Order: sequence, then C-alpha cells, then structure tokens
Amino acid sequence: MYRQKKMLIILLLSSLVVIQGCWSSKEIEDLSVYAGLALDVGERVDIERDLESQGAKYLKKNLVTATVQIVPIKSFERQEKSKEKQLLKYSNLRLTGDSIFEIMRQYSTRRDRPVIGHHLKVIVVSTKLAQQQHMDQLMDFVLRDNDIRPSCRVFFSKGKAYDTFLIDQPEEVPAFRINSMTQNSYRTNKVMKEVNLTQLDGLIHSKQSFLLQNIVSSNGEIEFSGAGIIKGDSSKWIGDLNQENVESLSWIQGNGHGGVIKSYDWRNQTISYEIKSMKSKMTAKLKGDDISFHVSIESKGRLIENWDINENPSELAYLEAAEKIFEERLAKMLDSLMRKMQSKYKVDVAGFGKNLSIQYPQKWKKIKGNWDEEFSRIPVTFEIKLTITDYGSSTK
Amino acid sequence: MFTRTDDKISTRQTAIFITDSVLGAGILTLPRSVIETAQTPDVWLSVIVGGFIVLMVALVMVKLSQQFPNHTVYQYAKRIVGTIPGGMLSVCLIIYFIVIAGFEVRVFAEVTMYYLLEGTPIWAIVIPFIWVGAYICLGGINSIARVFQIIFPISILILVLSYFLSIRLFDIDNLRPVLSEGLLPVFKGLKSSVLVFTGCEVIMILVAHMQHPERAVKATFAGIGIPFVLYLMTIVVVIGGMSIDSVMNSTWPTIDLLRSFEIAGLIFERFEFPFLVIWMMQLFCNFTSFYYNASLGISQVFGVRLLPVIFGLIPAIFITALLPERINEVFKLGDTIGRMGIAIFFLVPVLLSVIFLFRKKVLKQHV
Repeated sequence: MYRQKKMLIILLLSSLVVIQGCWSSKEIEDLSVYAGLALDVGERVDIERDLESQGAKYLKKNLVTATVQIVPIKSFERQEKSKEKQLLKYSNLRLTGDSIFEIMRQYSTRRDRPVIGHHLKVIVVSTKLAQQQHMDQLMDFVLRDNDIRPSCRVFFSKGKAYDTFLIDQPEEVPAFRINSMTQNSYRTNKVMKEVNLTQLDGLIHSKQSFLLQNIVSSNGEIEFSGAGIIKGDSSKWIGDLNQENVESLSWIQGNGHGGVIKSYDWRNQTISYEIKSMKSKMTAKLKGDDISFHVSIESKGRLIENWDINENPSELAYLEAAEKIFEERLAKMLDSLMRKMQSKYKVDVAGFGKNLSIQYPQKWKKIKGNWDEEFSRIPVTFEIKLTITDYGSSTK
Repeated sequence: MFTRTDDKISTRQTAIFITDSVLGAGILTLPRSVIETAQTPDVWLSVIVGGFIVLMVALVMVKLSQQFPNHTVYQYAKRIVGTIPGGMLSVCLIIYFIVIAGFEVRVFAEVTMYYLLEGTPIWAIVIPFIWVGAYICLGGINSIARVFQIIFPISILILVLSYFLSIRLFDIDNLRPVLSEGLLPVFKGLKSSVLVFTGCEVIMILVAHMQHPERAVKATFAGIGIPFVLYLMTIVVVIGGMSIDSVMNSTWPTIDLLRSFEIAGLIFERFEFPFLVIWMMQLFCNFTSFYYNASLGISQVFGVRLLPVIFGLIPAIFITALLPERINEVFKLGDTIGRMGIAIFFLVPVLLSVIFLFRKKVLKQHV
C-alpha cells in the first residue's frame, strides 16, 4: 500500500515535468505578424539614410526594398481607448538590402517584436523590380522558408509595390483587402484566377511565360488592372496586358465565372451582356509541320442593360441582332489580345502550348524550347457563339 | 472483452499490421522521388505497376512462410539452409529492420523540427519516440496490433480528408499528356515506386503469429492493397494539385500541397498541422513494427530473452537515426534502404524458396 502511494506520488511529480507544454513557445502578442510583403527596387528611405549616416551599416547592395505589413500594431484593448484618434490597423516597415532573409532578420534591429511569416497572405512585386531581377531569385526565400505558406498569393504592382500597402480607410488592412479581392472573379473576369507560391514555383520552373495580376494604386486606392507578363526563358517582366486583354484571356481559357460584355448598338447606345456561363474548347491542328489552333467559345447570358429606348429587347429579331454585336465586340477584344501576344511581346500566356503538349506531345517536345517564338507565327482562329437567353425583369 | 493469452493476431489485425509497416515516411517524399527519375506526369502508372510487382513478391513470402506453421523466417531459415547461413540471412534482415526504424525516426524528427517544433533539439523529439515504441514492444505482438488497429482508421481518415480538401487545387491538365514519352519513363519510375513498399518483409514474421495462417494471402492482399491505393491517391492528388515542375522543386511535396491552400470557416484553416500530427502516429506505428520485428529476430536467432533485446536496441536505433548529418544523407539513406530491400528480397524469400523447393522436390528431403 505504501509502495503504491509512493509510486503514485512519483508519477504525479513526473507529470509536472511532462505537462509543462512547449517551453520554447512564444506568445503571439510578442511577435509581429506580417500579412503582406511588398518588394520594390532598392531605394533607401530617408530614415534609412539617416540611420546609415550614423553608422548603421553592413555589407550589402541596395537591390531590393522589402516592406512588411504588420497587423495589428496595437492590442485590441488599447485600440478601444484611443478610438477617437482612428489608429491605423497596420504598420509598414521598410528596409533595403540584397537578401530578403537578411532584411527579415534586420527588422529585429528596429522593432522589439520579431516578424513571423506564418500569416503572410500577399506578396506584391513592383514590375520595375521584376524587370531588373529574375523572378525565381526574388521568390527563392519565400519558397524555401518554413513559416511562409505556399498558399500566399503573388501580384505585380505598376507603380511602387509599397504604395499598394497604403490605404485611406483606417479600419482596413491593405494586404487582407488585396487577398479578398481575388474572390471577386465571379463578378468580373477582369479579376484573374489567383496565383499562389506553389503554382508560381511550377510556372517559373517550367520555363514557359506566364501572367500575374497587376495592381495600380493612387492615394491609398488600389485597383486590379490587367496583368504583367513574365517571359519564360529570362524569368523577367517584359510588359503588361490591359484589363480588356485579361477579359479576353478568360474567354480563351473558358475559366471565367462572370462578367460583362459592353458594346454599342446601331444608334451608338450602350448595351450590356451579363455572362452567365462560358465554355471554350481549344484544339490544335497539325498538318505536316504546320500547327494551327482553333478556339470555339460558347456562352449564355442575359441582356442586362439597354440604353436604346427605341428598341424592344423582348423581340427575337432584336436579341439576335444584339448577339451579333456582342460577338463582334468579343472578336475584336480577342483580336487585340492575340496581336499583343503574337506581335508585340511574342509570348504565349493563354495556354496554347499546354494544349499542344497534350494533343501532340511529340511535336511539342521538338519546339518547346523555342515555343514563344514559334507561337508568334501560328495562326489562331476563333468561333464565337453567344446566346442571350433572357432580358431580365423588364420586357421593354 | 477477453484478453488473449496465446499472443496470436487475427487476420484483420495482420492486414493492418502490414499496412502500417508499409505506410510511413514514403508518403511525404514519394511524388518527388518518382518524378525525379521519370520526369513525366505518368508516374501514377509506375505506382500501379510497382504495386503489382510488390504484391507478387509478398505472395512468394507468404507461400514460403505457410510451409512452416508457427515458425518465423528467423526460425525456418535455419531449417532450410542450416544454422549458420540461415542465421546470417536473418542478421541481414535484422540490420535492415533496424536501419528502416532509424530512418523513420529521423524523417519524423526532420519534418517535426522544420514545420512543427522549430527550436526543439532533435534528441528531445527522437528519444521519447523510441521510448514509447519500446514500451509497446514489451507488450508483445498482440498489443502492438491493437494499437495499430486504433491508430489506423484515424490516420487514414485525416489523410483522405486532407487530400479531399486539396481538390480545389486539382487540375487534370497537370497529369496530362499521358504517355507522351512512351513507357520507358514509367519503368524508370518503378525504381522509386517499388521502394515505398519496403517493409512488407514483415509478412514473413507475421504469418507465424496468425491465428489462421491459412488466411495469410487474404491479409496480404489487404495489407498491400490499402497502401497501394493511398500511394496512388497521393501521386494523383499531389501532381494534379501542384504540377510536376513544382513537385520536383519541393523537399516535402505532400506537405507543400497541404500548405498551398487555406480553408476559411472549418475547424482548421491549415491542414498541414493536423495532417502532420496524425501522420506522426502513423510513422510511430511504422517504426514500432520494425523495432519489434528486429528485436524478435535478435532474440530468436541468438536465443536470448526478448526484454533485454528491446532495451538493447534503443541506443542502436538512436545512433542510426542521428548518423546522417545533412538532409541529403537522410534521403540517401532512404534510397539505400530501398536497394537493401531489393537485395533482401532476393537473398531471403527467393533464395530460401528455391532451396526449399529443390530439397523437397529433387532431393525428397523432409525439411
């Protein structure tokens, strides 16, 4: 009996050691959680220059300026007290250097709470930086790191990437806003399907050209506008597609979930088509050594807006005429995109190459090293069929 | 509930035992290792072919073991080829089991240290793992089998659930074109896809412990079939979700797939953590199986009691686990284990079967 009790006591005491939990744990309040990372061309801000003039220097080239967006900067309790002041919910911290990892660690010389990447949602790269540096160099650290999840999304910024992290609404965190805006692709096909780090890694590694959504910013406002092109063989930014091109791209790939085609009728009045469904089928044809592509696009939608008071949308003849107008408009948009891809930039970012590789793998193997160049000479034909199924809740 | 005293396991327990011996660290690296050798998305075909090859191999082992009821490979090897050669074959098998056990522990430690417990020293992760394993081994094969029975459904459920949730990233075009390079890459990929099934050698020991050894074939079909299906799922889901270019660049592709999406609104936003925690239990089963089979081997070959052997193996496994310094060496050890597995297969079941048949049919000896 005594022996058993002694055993029990030893057991209970030893449990004290075991149930201590994780002794190397860190409280989240003591850490700076960053939700966004913006990469710009290396340019030291005034504070940095000033600090450096006082000797805060180490061996580096000023290639990249990395901004982390830390959320929230104050605990919730304190925020309530200073409600009148309308504190920002985030703080941006900028440092310049030539290794992203070193910059990350360098933040610890400036802030008491070290930054951790577990909740990084958005990376914005300025196109200017992507023009100078290889994309795989810039993304190497974030892909290798164990804190940063590959679910993080990557964007381009036309201006400074830092500017996309400023916002005039104090209750919003810009990085979260950008992240949530990607979900709007069901409202308009100007919003591209998001690219996360895993996909980006595959795209860079496959040596084929690809796109990332562009963000433009002005005075704390941001907008998704078009996409930046990364050329496959150089892994550098070479140019942009505009909003219309991005729309056209979704028609070629048939992956849009919604959106608009707006055009003008024979009296030059606005008419709009609401996309309810879109389907596209891309077929590659191989005749001897000549490749050609045929894309057939089918869509059903609704006549949602008509400014022409002299017309009656419930008449079949009118609907058919309107369909024609929308089809012509779409054909024009596609034409402009194809010209941009084939003549201006000489890149394939619409997945024609993937299609060829699936249908004619042998041919693809021969030309894939020089695909962008080959693609610029390949004829592509379109076949568009839009159907207006209804005209909403007003007949007139 | 009744407690068994005869230390035998049922057919279902045998099937789960085999499954748990096969399913281990392989699932974390399989997609990368096969794609590295094959370089095409057709590697799922390699897994199918590899699975069938391994099934045939396992059946050879079962048929041989069934000739010697209640005898493990360590015991019947001596009867077939004599005490000393048989003992040497058994020692090969024992070393093989110890190395796999050490490897499993090391992979477990590497993944845990990188993704879950950054900053925890490796010994603090490895030692409790081995201790708990030793504790279960002391209970004998029956308690091991029962632990496996408890863990098995949980780990499989979480694995399948995680894969299911990753469907949002799945793109069938990542798996195409099919057979663009012909069948050659598929056979090249076989090298790695057969390796992930290493561990099925435990069948040669399990048959002796079965309550109904005559049902061993059925147990083997289930025991190889379940990992086969799961491996195939892994390959299809990981390649479909990540594309081969991305998989090749990833150290732990399966974990990276789960890290590539977030789910808002569910209990877990990030599925790599529940997956890793649960998969740890699976790795533990895997480890325990080899630990026990190695201890049993030493005790039967050298005629010593099991208890001191189990304790004696603790440092051996610990040293094996910590021997590789770089992660490259860990992966190299994995490859070596695979090659050892093939050598062991030709040395043990094939050689023994040939000699056994020769002695029985040609020399008409009674073995």
